[in-house]
Amino acid sequence: MNLKISALDYVQEVKTGNISAEDFVANTIERIQNVDDKLHAFLSVNEDAINQARAIDKKIKSGEKVGDCFGMPISIKDNMCIKDSKTTCASKMLENFIAPYDATVIAKLKRQDAIFVGKVNMDEFAMGLTTEFSAYGPSKNPWNVEYVSGGSSGGSAVSVSALECVASLGSDTGGSVRNPASFCSAVGYKPTYGLISRYGLISYANSIEQIGPLTRTVKDTAFMLNLITGIDPNDDTTIDNKNEDYLSGIESGIEGKKIGIIKEMIGEGIDPAVLSATKDAIAKLEGLGATCEEISLDMVKYSVAAYYTITATEAGSNLARYDNLRYGYDFPLDGYEFNSYISKARRKFGPEVIRRMIIGGFVPSAGHSGKYFLKALKVKSKLTKEVNGAFKKFDFLISPTVPILPFKLGEKIDDPVSLFLVDINTVTANLTGKPAISIPFANSNGLPIGIQLMADSMHDKLLLQAAYALEQTVRLPEVPI
Amino acid sequence: MVTEEEIEKVSKLMRIGIDDHKEYVEKVHMMINFFDILDSAGVESEEISMPEIPISKLREDEHIPFDDKLIERLNHYKGTYVRAPKMSS
Amino acid sequence: MTMIGLEIHCQLTNLNSKLFCSCKANYREFKINENICPVCMGLPGSLPRLNQEAVKKATMIAMALNCTIPEKIAFFRKNYFYPDSPKNFQITQLNIYGDTSVGGTGSVMIGDKKIRITRIQLEEDPGRLIYDGSSSKNQITLVDYNRAGTPLVEIVTEPDFETPHEVRDFLNILSNILTNLGVADPSLEGAMRADANISIEGGKKVEIKNIGSFHDLEKAVHFEIIRQDSLHSRNIEIIQETRHWDDRRKITVSSRSKEEDLDYRYFLEGDIPWVKIDPEIQKKLKTEMPESISSKKARYISKYNIPAQVADVLSSDKYYSDLFEDAYTESNAKEVANIITTELMGLVDTREKREVSKFTSVHLRDLADAIQSGKVSRNSSKNALHEILKSGKDLSTVISELDLGNVSDESELSRIIAQIISEEPQAVEQSKSNSQTINYLVGKVMQKTKGKADPVLTLDILKKQIGI
Repeated sequence: MNLKISALDYVQEVKTGNISAEDFVANTIERIQNVDDKLHAFLSVNEDAINQARAIDKKIKSGEKVGDCFGMPISIKDNMCIKDSKTTCASKMLENFIAPYDATVIAKLKRQDAIFVGKVNMDEFAMGLTTEFSAYGPSKNPWNVEYVSGGSSGGSAVSVSALECVASLGSDTGGSVRNPASFCSAVGYKPTYGLISRYGLISYANSIEQIGPLTRTVKDTAFMLNLITGIDPNDDTTIDNKNEDYLSGIESGIEGKKIGIIKEMIGEGIDPAVLSATKDAIAKLEGLGATCEEISLDMVKYSVAAYYTITATEAGSNLARYDNLRYGYDFPLDGYEFNSYISKARRKFGPEVIRRMIIGGFVPSAGHSGKYFLKALKVKSKLTKEVNGAFKKFDFLISPTVPILPFKLGEKIDDPVSLFLVDINTVTANLTGKPAISIPFANSNGLPIGIQLMADSMHDKLLLQAAYALEQTVRLPEVPI
Repeated sequence: MVTEEEIEKVSKLMRIGIDDHKEYVEKVHMMINFFDILDSAGVESEEISMPEIPISKLREDEHIPFDDKLIERLNHYKGTYVRAPKMSS
Repeated sequence: MTMIGLEIHCQLTNLNSKLFCSCKANYREFKINENICPVCMGLPGSLPRLNQEAVKKATMIAMALNCTIPEKIAFFRKNYFYPDSPKNFQITQLNIYGDTSVGGTGSVMIGDKKIRITRIQLEEDPGRLIYDGSSSKNQITLVDYNRAGTPLVEIVTEPDFETPHEVRDFLNILSNILTNLGVADPSLEGAMRADANISIEGGKKVEIKNIGSFHDLEKAVHFEIIRQDSLHSRNIEIIQETRHWDDRRKITVSSRSKEEDLDYRYFLEGDIPWVKIDPEIQKKLKTEMPESISSKKARYISKYNIPAQVADVLSSDKYYSDLFEDAYTESNAKEVANIITTELMGLVDTREKREVSKFTSVHLRDLADAIQSGKVSRNSSKNALHEILKSGKDLSTVISELDLGNVSDESELSRIIAQIISEEPQAVEQSKSNSQTINYLVGKVMQKTKGKADPVLTLDILKKQIGI
């Protein structure tokens, strides 16, 4: 059975009876069993997936109304709650946490008869961009298992790229969907802030992060957005998209559109292969009738420092609840005083989480807030103004998703600042709330390169049209696994 | 320069027991040093902004009990209490 | 000079749901940890959802205390670790980026004295800790989260009070304002709590935390002033410190709080957008606010001729003013006010008594009408009132069952009066020359009828029969 089909094709095939959901899901589970020892995309696999698929086949046969997913196997980053399932955030701290409720995105997908084939790997609490900070070991890049998958939604990207599912949901705080999508050759989407409910997504830096789909094609991303976007009574930060249909008109093209090339994102430190792929993408877009021009965004050079200041502060607060009293792992409290108990219990956090929480205690503290945290917020404001200004002139902004190629496991794990700089092209969309997408575009010596397009807030539909146009110019090799 | 004492103080504030503070000093120091670039951003006069919501869009004041006995899914003790360690007075 | 400032925490007990979730605001009726959900338990992935009504009611409190109202309100996280706080931070308000708490500066008058309000903020109440175990060695802490997330309004004053008496007057006024707004029931256990800061001439500021009721607040302030005065008189330095109110022993005790822990790392709560309170909404809220106590008082005086002192008492207690508003008519207003302030107040002066009382505004109106028309004497009306409070029966039933009605049947009364006249020939004779003696005869009639004779009618018939 061909597992390398798009979500839209899957739906079509099952609808017309060419394949059954049960067969497809069973083959997907078998695929996971065959390749995941090598790749480690999954933290847990849904034992009941095949039964659920069978039930959906039954519904189809009996002519009952079936949801839009028709039993499509989807993987879910392990920081989203599925009721009665383990949700670990790839942390030992939440080793035994069983979610008592569904995240909004999960509830929506359940209603559309999606099947959650498993929970996938990530950096612990989404802090990282390689999955090397997962407490359960890193995921490997299916294009070359000696290389990092990207992160923090590494398991999502690997599972989509290695055909262990049809689509995945990740979360993107500073590039955590787009970065692994770029490294593993998948489409990765970070929507306008508020387009997708965060209810049930375990917070890392709540003021800037969004759930986003990872798929094989741009159309699949539009399909997923149709299912999971919209205002949610459980999340006050969601915005009303008036039930936008992201698929309709996706082939509209980009003729006459203006695209800004962000100078600061193709400068110092960029890999020559990435630069040449970016130039190639610009040429292709111009060939489709768009005009491209360079633009400088001054604040971009401060964006990574601002990003880490803000995320560490929010993380320090968001992760404070993990004190092991109401839920957590087995660690008896007899004989301990409160503070000594939780200080000891919280040692279960991994070293990167601890580092960031120390920073998260330091930068907003009474003595340092003016120097770091307040300035970071102001950079965020000024960057937003700059980007808003750019969108008065341009319809889209373009850059490589990541300025460098995927690197080897272990290569940067001990150098936090060089890891920081990998985020330089992705954090702007998070700090400004704008939608951004990574499109698989090139391949250099077997390693994928993604191109990022960004659009103004609520222009998600337009952004997908541009991404689709670019995607149509690309022919890429098959994943070698 | 972030000192070992500062790391110790902050780790205490954040309630994370750390055995070897030295181990963290170097990396945390590198990270915080990197943030010094914010000093040259020239943003002092910037205003802080946030998304806004009209009062009418806020949740209506309605009592809807959670549809599950939540406490039974959490750590509980002596009936339905949550247990905490003793408090230093 | 003694300077006292207050921080008063007032639960919005009359709301239906908590500040950020749909669990019940009034948690008192629940079994341990039954009034909880993923949001107020701070479970991973849960998000706060701000209660619209809480914002409105808190804004009304700010308006009633003459506070400035900001255009936008913002929420902040106050970060600290404590087992009663499920997220280990509290969502509260601050004014570090301009005025963004529900109320800015305001003021309240106690008589001629102005007490300045620093700010008013809306925040969540934590859960409740219960200490278990025989000694501190084997002590364990149990937590009930039913209260966690209950909407709380914090009212912060400037250090404008000089005496415990002023504190008490302020608390009375505040209780009345909150009750009148219909936002809170200050008499519910734990609904009102306070911290106070106190300094006397030449001493440092001392904070008193954890005062569990308004009643104790006055006591705590009183105790602390005496303690500080006594130190001062013995030339012992008064150090800046935090003390706790010991509820059981009714004294303040020094608490060894660790200063290093007091870095709350306040920052904006990103899960709650800023809420716009534009002038139009402010105007609308003002029209939705119940009539203020001072406006009620003025109306009672000018429209119904009620004496100022009576009007004052009547308007400041919502229970009485509601009764009055429902019962009065153009003709009986003064009598209704009179019954409330002279009779009823002594009978339903506590929350418990009010709860069990079966007395309604219909009873009140009937009673006032009956007194005015002479159907029942003022004296008998007291008995009727007692019976109604107990049984809830309507007035006419009570009158006939207890035989409280005035003897106003003319032939019956004539017969009784004729008998009195024949028994008291001397008094009758005297009454012809001395008009005062007639009152003695009226008294005799009252004696015979156990006070139920209609006094006007009695006098009438007496005069007629004697021929004066």
